[in-house]
Amino acid sequence: MPRERPIYSDFFYDPLTEDVEELLARFQQSDSIRYEYFSAAWRQMGFSDVFIGIVSMAEQKRFSRVTLATAVKYFLPPYSYQIRAGGLYLMFGLYNTQLAIPRVPIRLALGDWDIIQKFLKDSVNSGHQDVVYIYHKLVAAKAIHFTAMPHFLSFLKLRKRKQNNVCAEFIGRSMAVQELFSADILDEVSNIESQYEKLKENTVAVRCEASMTQRDFTARLKDCMAEFLTWQQKTFSQAEADNKGGGGDDEDDDEEEEDEEERDYKASSSRARLISSIKQKSYSNFQEAPKARRHRQPEKLKVESSSSGSEQHYGSGRKRRPPSLRARTWKSLGVTKDESRVQVWLLSAPEQKERVPVKRTNQTPPYKD
Amino acid sequence: MRSLMGPFGTIIEKNYITHDPQRSDVVIQENMAASKNAITNIPDYEYTDVNTNIFHIDSFRTEWLNRLQPGDFSFQSEDQDSSDALFAEEMGISADTMAELKTVCSLDSLRCHPEDQPPDPDVVPPDPTLNTLIQRKKKQDYRATLKISKNRHDLYADELERLTFGKKPETLDDMVAEGEIILNINVYYPAIFEKFCYVRPHITVLMMGSHTLAELRDAICCVSDLQVCGEFSNMPDMAPDFISKDHFKSAFFYFEGVFYNDMRYPECQDTSITTIEWAKDRNFPTYTQAKMEDTRFVDLKIKVGFPYLYCHQGDCEHLVIITDVRLTHKDDCLDKKLYPLLAHKHRVSTQKCAVCHVYIVRWVTTNDQFAPSNPCLFCDKCFRMLHFDTEGNKLGEFQAFPYVDRGAFN
Repeated sequence: MPRERPIYSDFFYDPLTEDVEELLARFQQSDSIRYEYFSAAWRQMGFSDVFIGIVSMAEQKRFSRVTLATAVKYFLPPYSYQIRAGGLYLMFGLYNTQLAIPRVPIRLALGDWDIIQKFLKDSVNSGHQDVVYIYHKLVAAKAIHFTAMPHFLSFLKLRKRKQNNVCAEFIGRSMAVQELFSADILDEVSNIESQYEKLKENTVAVRCEASMTQRDFTARLKDCMAEFLTWQQKTFSQAEADNKGGGGDDEDDDEEEEDEEERDYKASSSRARLISSIKQKSYSNFQEAPKARRHRQPEKLKVESSSSGSEQHYGSGRKRRPPSLRARTWKSLGVTKDESRVQVWLLSAPEQKERVPVKRTNQTPPYKD
Repeated sequence: MRSLMGPFGTIIEKNYITHDPQRSDVVIQENMAASKNAITNIPDYEYTDVNTNIFHIDSFRTEWLNRLQPGDFSFQSEDQDSSDALFAEEMGISADTMAELKTVCSLDSLRCHPEDQPPDPDVVPPDPTLNTLIQRKKKQDYRATLKISKNRHDLYADELERLTFGKKPETLDDMVAEGEIILNINVYYPAIFEKFCYVRPHITVLMMGSHTLAELRDAICCVSDLQVCGEFSNMPDMAPDFISKDHFKSAFFYFEGVFYNDMRYPECQDTSITTIEWAKDRNFPTYTQAKMEDTRFVDLKIKVGFPYLYCHQGDCEHLVIITDVRLTHKDDCLDKKLYPLLAHKHRVSTQKCAVCHVYIVRWVTTNDQFAPSNPCLFCDKCFRMLHFDTEGNKLGEFQAFPYVDRGAFN
């Protein structure tokens, strides 16, 4: 068997990436690229603690390398300007708070250099002094290794081929279409077109033969663009809404096929929300119940379950058994049952009809996934 | 497949299928980059995250130097105040704004704990909120239940590097030049044990661009260079000091279609010609030859991360991977004399004597009537006590060969 490679020896480390994305998301919510907001989010999350708890120096160094590589990843395209500024601040923060001795430097590859210079030039031009100053500080501290590639390469294929997850919200939305839509170019085009048609009408010889242009060109272009914009609006607002985990309940889908999955997802998420709200309600009620009843309730459930079936044993924290053959067959045959409805019903049952013996209407296979 | 992906995955994918605005941009950029690289020697991935395309090291260095200010890679550390002043001047910032900028961007802004109560760097805080810390806490708790606490490899992994960190030479002549290239070279042990296919033990050597391949060859320590050939059961004291390295000096490196032979000594042979002629007969692309001692690293065209070959003693073959190429930095070891610099060495366990189980093996015997096994390993002292009388006369029948342990040079 291949031996497990030591921890942090991959290019990136998933939990760290999640943390970094959380930090950058907070920074993004501030809607500003000022360093104050970044450092506030940093302090709020206690981000310098990521280095704490590593005893071995070799591990510490590998981890520092991973953190800095992660920061550089967000400093480079395809992310929006704000996220890239956040990536730069992150490089600064991580470089200066790392506990490895000597400090692990930031690796910048030759291929990325022109992109970085363009970023800095843009920052200078738009007067973002803190962005430029932070970069300047990194250079002055000699924190950068000028390398061939961003990572050390030793012909090792990553064990599981990770798809390059690009955090969708961090990407700058493509504005080109919007600009085109608002610009006067379309009017111009239609003017030219009408002019052309007029000329064509006037010259009899050409009129019948030339049929290269489409008369409704501008209208169709406009339609296409409008469709794209509504799609963009929808997907991005959808993503935001999903991320916040609430709101955006109504479904007004006019596009048929391609929205089916989204609708599915939306439906399931709204169902999940419903369930969670019900759960919360019942739990809060449960908490409020008097002490005497609180400890009696599980007992009662147990009694009931022994009479009605085996499934409710799982709820009382018993040791988990491997699923039975029947359950596995159910699973493998992929029979999907409407679990949520059952759960809703179950959750609300002990609340309202306390003394009524529990009776299952829908026999679910006795396993818990 | 779709069901496996989260909401964002679906969105991104959809984006590619239906409208594809960003994707096409990326593709165009990539194409442009690819066509540019052919001319400009800017390394780029051939296979993502595995190895790069081929580039010339010296041109790569020039590309960097053209893009950088001399101050960017100089070994002088800059004074913070003066560099700030320079920055303010360049940006046209007033003194007040500069002072404000300094306070806002100071390192204090990153402090998450009060200055007088720094956290213990060795212990994960009790209720972490960061995912990384939650994972690490789990690991730490698990580790606490184990008896073995430390990984020996990890303990000594950076020992060599620590010794040479930021080392300055005694005389200025030995100073590494600014803007010099440093290469990280991994030399792997031959996969003669099945285990080595998975563990990939290697040494890591840091070399400068001005070094020749012959200097890399001399830096590689391999037991097959140290073997002594012959049977010495009749005269153990006569075991000659000549080792294989002195007898068979031929060796070659192989990089990108060129065999670099070691031809420094008159007794060196061209061992690569066999391979070249074999390949010629079988319609392979033609390989060329060059001399190892005349080739500097900056002259090479290589792929970073791609496995190449070092072959010596006729058939002892090591993979050679250049894992990194970069400009020198002020914290590197700046003493030329210390290069080639060993940065990592795999430690192998040593074989112990079959009698005392204390000392490292020096002899291996075969057909030995005193030995419990055939072959059998002995340290020098036990070997002599068991097989020779006080006058040094051979007792019994056996053959004895000198043995060099793999781990003797840890």
